[in-house]
Amino acid sequence: MSPPEPLPEGDFQRLFATEAEGRLDTLVDELLELEKGGSGPELLASLFREAHTIKGGAAVVGMGHVARVAHALEDLLEEVRSDRRGVDASLIDAVLAGVDAIRALIPLAVAGQDHEQAASEAERRLRIALGGDGSVEAVAPRAAAPSTAPAPAPPTSTRDVTGEVSASLPDEEPTRIPSSAPAERDASDGARGSEDGARSGDRTAEADPAATHVEPARPAAVEMLQMPVHRIDDLVRLIGEASAATLRLGSALLEHLDRDPAGVAEYRDLVRSLNELQELALRARMIPVMSLAPRLRRAVRDLAHETGKEVRFETRGEDAEIDRGVLERLADPLLHLVRNAVDHGIETPDERRLLGKPIEGTVRLHAMQLGSEVVIAVSDDGHGIDVGRVRETAGRTDTSALEMDDESALYLIFRSGLTTATRVTAVSGRGVGLDAVRASLNAVRGRVEVRSDPGLGTEFRIAVPITMTTLRCLVITAAGQPYAIPLHSVRAVLAPQPAATVGGRPMTMVDGRPVPISSLAGVLGTGNGSDGPAVVVAGLTRNHAFKVDDLVDQRDVVVKGLGELIPRLPAVAGAGVQPDGSILLVLEAAGLIDRARRMDAGDRSLEAAEGIGPATAPPRRARSILVVDDALTVRELQRSIFENAGYRVMLANDGEEALREISSERPDLVLTDVQMPRMDGFQLTAAIRGQPALASLPVIILTSRGSDEDRRRGLECGADGYIVKSGFDQSALLAAVERLLGAEQ
Amino acid sequence: MATASAPEVAAGDLALLIPVGADVYAVRLASVREVVVAPRVTQLPTAPPTVRGVFNVRGDIVPLLDTGLLLGLRAVADEPYAVLIETAHGVAGLVATGMPATARLRESVGRSDLEGTTETHLIDDTRLAVVLDLATLLNPVRISR
Repeated sequence: MSPPEPLPEGDFQRLFATEAEGRLDTLVDELLELEKGGSGPELLASLFREAHTIKGGAAVVGMGHVARVAHALEDLLEEVRSDRRGVDASLIDAVLAGVDAIRALIPLAVAGQDHEQAASEAERRLRIALGGDGSVEAVAPRAAAPSTAPAPAPPTSTRDVTGEVSASLPDEEPTRIPSSAPAERDASDGARGSEDGARSGDRTAEADPAATHVEPARPAAVEMLQMPVHRIDDLVRLIGEASAATLRLGSALLEHLDRDPAGVAEYRDLVRSLNELQELALRARMIPVMSLAPRLRRAVRDLAHETGKEVRFETRGEDAEIDRGVLERLADPLLHLVRNAVDHGIETPDERRLLGKPIEGTVRLHAMQLGSEVVIAVSDDGHGIDVGRVRETAGRTDTSALEMDDESALYLIFRSGLTTATRVTAVSGRGVGLDAVRASLNAVRGRVEVRSDPGLGTEFRIAVPITMTTLRCLVITAAGQPYAIPLHSVRAVLAPQPAATVGGRPMTMVDGRPVPISSLAGVLGTGNGSDGPAVVVAGLTRNHAFKVDDLVDQRDVVVKGLGELIPRLPAVAGAGVQPDGSILLVLEAAGLIDRARRMDAGDRSLEAAEGIGPATAPPRRARSILVVDDALTVRELQRSIFENAGYRVMLANDGEEALREISSERPDLVLTDVQMPRMDGFQLTAAIRGQPALASLPVIILTSRGSDEDRRRGLECGADGYIVKSGFDQSALLAAVERLLGAEQ
Repeated sequence: MATASAPEVAAGDLALLIPVGADVYAVRLASVREVVVAPRVTQLPTAPPTVRGVFNVRGDIVPLLDTGLLLGLRAVADEPYAVLIETAHGVAGLVATGMPATARLRESVGRSDLEGTTETHLIDDTRLAVVLDLATLLNPVRISR
């Protein structure tokens, strides 16, 4: 058997870069734990080990300058580990700065760019933090080529994680792996291992990870293999091409031999094998979404320090995985959202104290897999987005913004150049960013939605496909043209049925809840209505039904982009080439729903105003309902019901909050629970009726208290309707609301 | 293969002549990948009017652009031919309403006033062809207008 072809030198460096990225992330995570009061020899040993391993790895792949900085970092950590120095903010800052420097230096080294000076500066700072004068030793020039690499110099001594003396490579003259001689390399590693062994007695290989950049043996049963990402990419691409060629083969069988490919066993076997191969190859590219968490946690920590805020960063959804390429494109948007949350969302400790909130704010990153999408939510418990100010700011350059309802106005934050921040910081408030977030997401066929509760916080939800290649789709026809709808977006298929209207909008009932319904061809602008079945699709926060001509079948579609020349079309996710050579357009649920809602709202100039969400539409003013309930679930359920029915929903936790809401904006109707803290529903109703200006404001009491006495009391307070939750029927509730609002207008 | 950013065609160069309605336009032959007869076009809902749809060229999805609308003129009535042009943003198809043909451009008779074009050249004793400025025409911003 011939020996494996050695990796080119650049590949080793890239391999190290990938490994170092993970280790730097771990370093940051552990440093932040240390900063929060975490201690113990294990944490310190781990910190030291990571720095040590980075140093060793950098030296081995010929990144001498990086190794020097890592060495200084290691020395600093050694001071802590050996109790010669305590942990304080300046130490954490110094180490984090060292980590940042290494992170910045590695790509320069991989690209062969000059980074000596930057490395010297980083090393100098670390030495100053160590208590020295910052003088940096002279640097040996980098070896010119692997073939001329110097022989390993005598190892210098340092301390390993167990406190025993071990060996590592000298930093000034790093040994590089001779790319042309893998056997030699192995021998060299082995030799170092022997030396280590000789110096440290019975120490195992795990004790000195710097001896080689290969992961030490793990107790886990799964063996791991690191390889350059492009090899997987090549594999995925070739499998995709093979799949496409197979489809063409099937087409040729039918066309030239008059054989239905589905009836040819060999063809079926080929397709099945290729499908399995494709799935496996795609899985090989998957990495956990939370591999980004350390970077985000670090950003939260740094910005919190800078702004004098106290912020906790929480994560949920460690299992969610996503294609590495997609995740790489998400790093910057997520970083931006997290920074925004700290900078603009979370209040200062004093403000939070005054508001009765915990002093420490929370920024959460939550990832979950939904079908073939991953949804990542970045939320904070800060003061929310001031929609009024967003509207006012946007209105200075676009008067149509002033006419927008709150939901539409909220999406104005994604417009380029818009900021409501009263101060500009290094990271936010410049009006650049959220539009860039949107653009980055467009590039991976992702989308973003935002929800903000004044005083309670903001949540950005990003949805991206797990992979950008194959999607299982439902194929339908509309106005004679076939379209594919990704199956993960399809909630239900409804038989043809007569349409009903609620609030003046066509609605259909799905699982007992009203869902808006539109003609797909009408929404796409390719035709008129249809009497065919309807497909209920789900966006991030709402469902919508679309009437189609026919349901065709389900199939896997190898989705391609439409290229750079065509602007992004929010309702079209991409397209696939079919076996007969035709092109099948793949629709995007959220974009379709937005478009349908905007058309419902009377905006017919969509072609000129395509963007994300309803941002650019000046829809008619939706009627508003103030939902008052202290139970979050009930509030959210009612919000969902009314929003789906086309109403704008305001929320309040209790009677007092409701009165404040009403004083700042009069809703069209109030729906209130009875039992609530501070001010109950009866008191609220009486308070509303006590104000002449609100005498005509309809109030419905929705409660679990169904006694005659309660009902009588509710009506005596001046309620217009009294609905008992036990007999709760959404249609009846909507009908009651519609009746009252109709009477009021 | 040259791209749309390459210098456009000049007198003496071989060009592909693209009939659009009553007019004839010319592009540098090296910018042309191939000509597709009667492309099978899939309409692209919600796309700008300049995009007539997309079609399949050996597994690649290529946009077909309305040459008339791109030039600020009337939309073409149908799409009997698609001229595939290599651009810095990928391959694009330009509609030709008549069979494209190659010709060597003769002298220029002056600059063309039409935005997205450069010079007007004689192609024989009586006929003229206007050279398309592909970098200007086949640009995402212009296509989105």
